[in-house]
Amino acid sequence: MAVPPSYYLLLSAALFCIGVAGVLTRRNALLFLMSIELMLNAANVNFVYFSQFWGNVTGQTFSLFVIALAAAEVAIGIGIILVLYRNFDGVDVTEATTMRW
Amino acid sequence: MNQWIAVGALGVVAVGIPLGMMAASSMLRPTVPEQGKSAIYESGEVPTGTARVQFNIQYYMVALLFVIFDVETVLIFPWTVIYRPALEEGVPLVTLLAPMLVFIGILVVGLVWAWRNGAVEWVASPRALKEKTES
Amino acid sequence: MIDLALQTVPGVADGLLPAAVLALTALLLFGIDTINPKEDSLALLCGISVGGSLLALALAGSLLAAGYEATPVYGDALMIDGTSLFFTLVFASVTALVSVASYDYLRDQDYCAEFYALVLFAATGMSLMAAANSLATAFVALELTSLPSYALVAFLKTDEGSVEAGLKYFLVGALASAVLVFGISLVYAATGAMTFSAIAEAMVGAGDVAGVLGLGVVMIAGGVAFKMAAVPFHFWAPEAYEGAPAPVSGFLSSASKAAGFALAFRIFVGAFPVEMAVPMGVDWVLVFQILAVGTMTLGNFAAATQENIKRMLAYSSVGHAGYALIGLAALSAGGPNGNVLGASMAHLFVYGFMNTGAFLFVAMAEHWGVGRTLEDYNGLAATAPVASVAMTVFMFSLAGLPPFGGFFSKYVLFYAAVESGFWWLAAVGAVNSALSLFYYSRVVKALWFEEATVPLEIGRRPVGLYVSVLAAALGTLILLPLFGPVVETAQTVAAALF
Repeated sequence: MAVPPSYYLLLSAALFCIGVAGVLTRRNALLFLMSIELMLNAANVNFVYFSQFWGNVTGQTFSLFVIALAAAEVAIGIGIILVLYRNFDGVDVTEATTMRW
Repeated sequence: MNQWIAVGALGVVAVGIPLGMMAASSMLRPTVPEQGKSAIYESGEVPTGTARVQFNIQYYMVALLFVIFDVETVLIFPWTVIYRPALEEGVPLVTLLAPMLVFIGILVVGLVWAWRNGAVEWVASPRALKEKTES
Repeated sequence: MIDLALQTVPGVADGLLPAAVLALTALLLFGIDTINPKEDSLALLCGISVGGSLLALALAGSLLAAGYEATPVYGDALMIDGTSLFFTLVFASVTALVSVASYDYLRDQDYCAEFYALVLFAATGMSLMAAANSLATAFVALELTSLPSYALVAFLKTDEGSVEAGLKYFLVGALASAVLVFGISLVYAATGAMTFSAIAEAMVGAGDVAGVLGLGVVMIAGGVAFKMAAVPFHFWAPEAYEGAPAPVSGFLSSASKAAGFALAFRIFVGAFPVEMAVPMGVDWVLVFQILAVGTMTLGNFAAATQENIKRMLAYSSVGHAGYALIGLAALSAGGPNGNVLGASMAHLFVYGFMNTGAFLFVAMAEHWGVGRTLEDYNGLAATAPVASVAMTVFMFSLAGLPPFGGFFSKYVLFYAAVESGFWWLAAVGAVNSALSLFYYSRVVKALWFEEATVPLEIGRRPVGLYVSVLAAALGTLILLPLFGPVVETAQTVAAALF
């Protein structure tokens, strides 16, 4: 018996929501990055499953692109977090407030 | 009644076996507390401190370069999947090979640039040099 | 899959040449920096990047003038047509202006080659965004634009403002791209396709999963709204523009915003045609109507309360995103869609010149050590009359006063909205324009009519900045007689999208 598609949608939606919750509540920039990664991987779950569901490999291929771009994004993000650490002595995203919101 | 019961049963067994073994051994064995047993295992070495120390920033540089170039290689996978079937279908070799060579060429430009700009050179920090001369 | 490989021709379709020129220029800059990382000649680097962007501009212009036919390339992944070339014109001219202006900005900086290479990579990404014909290429191109932009905003590594701006831009941008990817995955789940034409075809049978599809469409709208700096994802804009080096602010607020619009036009018109999406209950036109009104109103009201010039310009650019959104909000099944979409494209074209010019004037003021608030600009016209005339042109044009370029583009845009039956969108836009006149004229008043509190000493006149500010002013003025052809071109290429 195959697992129905709605289960996969629920799984990915749950992962995505965990990521969103992490983004909204965490103050540590590194944990923020991890939450973003979780959201991207939630999308990857969809891509991989529906690639099989529809019988084309577009989705699987695109999930590889998402993985590669996520790595690039993390590389830039860590670079910015490094200069943040040097300028503000910490990686708390709420501490960098020289400009008013 | 469906296959999920089997999955659940597997889960119960998988958790139950290690827990049961740990419980059985704790009931059978004599308890002799000793400092050497509670110390963190460090491959036979004497532990020197916690793992929560600040690493040299250059580890991150190397790690970042690794992450980028390592993950870019996954983009070669889809290409390898179609390579042989396409070749057998009579697609010219150049048509197949050129895009991947361009892709890798761009990566190489980036790597060479990073290399020339000293991203992979290990600069000993002043503190490390001092410790070396003192010891 | 194998079909796709068969269609993939190595080499470049001639419509892709502008993007290829931009990318190759960036790689060339990397190459020069590789040969001699320590002693780069700033003039050489600047010359190469200006030359590259001008070449791309000329190529895109000549292809567009020759009436380029729509050609799908690389197995439908990209679509080279009038729209992509038109937007490439905008990106290439803004890149050229910013490259010239950065010459003075980078004089005391290390990493000049990297700066220019990042600008050109971002420009490549933008021109690919305008050519995207599949959700996959759309996402990759968007990231190719975003990633260099994050680095550019945080370019001044030791400046707290720049780092903070880079961090905030990155955090919001990463969140927006995650939302966009999830939206794409939902659309793929509902339709099983990535290319726009295939999605539009598959939508016919997707009636029973309209919920999944609709959620995906809304999330995609959120992702592109970040690039446009439209309302739900606008709050990075004031921070990023204030903290970033001023040429970068100009680049982001004009070119990057236009790229967001180009992508939105492509995705929504190509993949989710109005006449099919709206009857299914996937009413993205309504989403954009709400966004347009919210963005216009919030941007202009917030701009009116600012004392800091860069923040004021940032909020004004949010407001202009609201005007341009009318192009998507006033679409309807069977309406004169090409006119309103084309008017929006023409507005973005004019906006590219006047807004970049305004930010470059701020860069010049920063170069002279003038402060950032409105009061610091008091009496600047007495010491720098030529630049102040240019700034006055930008301000009046942004406000939409006749006889400047901004007036014509806004007039055509509002007229087209009325023509499509959305008179209330035009009315909201007109009210907001009237409000915007208030804060733009404050700048002009400060420049010309106020007395300087502190006597201003201007050291040397920065050549690059002067050239680029005057070029932008000239562009804004030349668009007066040329505006007819621009609008006609934009409306023709936009009509071809439907």
